[in-house]
Amino acid sequence: MSKSDENQIEHRLKILSQIEPSSEATGRAIQRARDTLINEKSRQSSGTRIWRTVFKSPIAKLAAAAVLLIAVGYATGRLSAPQPLDMEGLQATLESSLKSSLEPAIRQDLLEEINGRWQSAFAAGCAQLKEELQRQVRRDLTEFAAQTLAASGTLTNQRLMELIQLIEATRWRERQQIEAAFEQIEQEKILLGNGLLAVAAQTNELLSTKQ
Amino acid sequence: MRDRQTELLELLDKSGANLYALLTRLTLREDVAEELMQELFVKLSNSRHFDKAGNRQAYARRAAINLAFDWRRSQKRNPLRLDQVREPASNDSSPLGKLVRTEELDEILNAIGRLNRSSREALVMRYIQEESYDYIAEQLGKTAHHVRALCSRALNRLRDVLGHDQRLSFEKEKHNVKK
Repeated sequence: MSKSDENQIEHRLKILSQIEPSSEATGRAIQRARDTLINEKSRQSSGTRIWRTVFKSPIAKLAAAAVLLIAVGYATGRLSAPQPLDMEGLQATLESSLKSSLEPAIRQDLLEEINGRWQSAFAAGCAQLKEELQRQVRRDLTEFAAQTLAASGTLTNQRLMELIQLIEATRWRERQQIEAAFEQIEQEKILLGNGLLAVAAQTNELLSTKQ
Repeated sequence: MRDRQTELLELLDKSGANLYALLTRLTLREDVAEELMQELFVKLSNSRHFDKAGNRQAYARRAAINLAFDWRRSQKRNPLRLDQVREPASNDSSPLGKLVRTEELDEILNAIGRLNRSSREALVMRYIQEESYDYIAEQLGKTAHHVRALCSRALNRLRDVLGHDQRLSFEKEKHNVKK
């Protein structure tokens, strides 16, 4: 590095050192900083005055330290403790997980239980039903038999009546025929008597003539 | 224990003008220096270390230097819009001279911004604030000999940085001319 460069640097630094802000600008900057500080002071003083008064005595300081320790312990305990449950979220999560995990099993169990109940009910009912059916069949058969008997009795009576009537009619017709035959026989007997009489009369007349 | 705001108001009365001048020299802008001055006192008002600082004035000056160079770095990252440009603070009267001078001063200030914190503080106090070595040593809590060494190293580093930057810009110019 040359001497001229060194001089140039020092010259520039010299110029920098000679820069002076205007007195108006300086006054304005100082006033602005002052206003800011005063605003800060009024803002902070309201909050800090009470604490400064309280923390003057060492007992208050010790009490504050104890309170701080308790608060820290409490906060640590709270932070390390399990977080309060979000009941709705938990309920929704549990509901969905239980639904997804238990629903098929519950459904299966329910179906099996219904099947079992149906089977046991059916088994119990089957014997009862069988007995009932038997009774019903027996009753029906009895009734049918009675009805059949009644019907057959009626029919038999009817047939018997018809047979009786037929027999009566046949007997009556035969009697009529016999009667008519007897009448014919009587008529023929009469005719025979009359012939015999005629023969006797002629014989007498012939004998009388021969004589 | 005295109220911090009262102490800060006293500091403002005592060193406000110096701090504002320092901020103006480091930013080359009066409006920015005014903003940074306000920011400086807000920071000091909320700073935990201010009460512990042995020398409040030195602490405030260090904070001002850091604020100014932070602003310069932020300006590099976020260049100014045209409506934000203000006339730079300079003692030169001609517009062209003012422009050239501002460019040169910006260059050296940016180079100072690249120094480490203790070298930068020592250099600023020695060459821009024109304080004596003994005073700087007292303010920084170092020996005068140590401050002298710091300033010397800072100048050497500044030469390196500026020389490197100039070589780079010269190469760039040569490349543009060849094109």
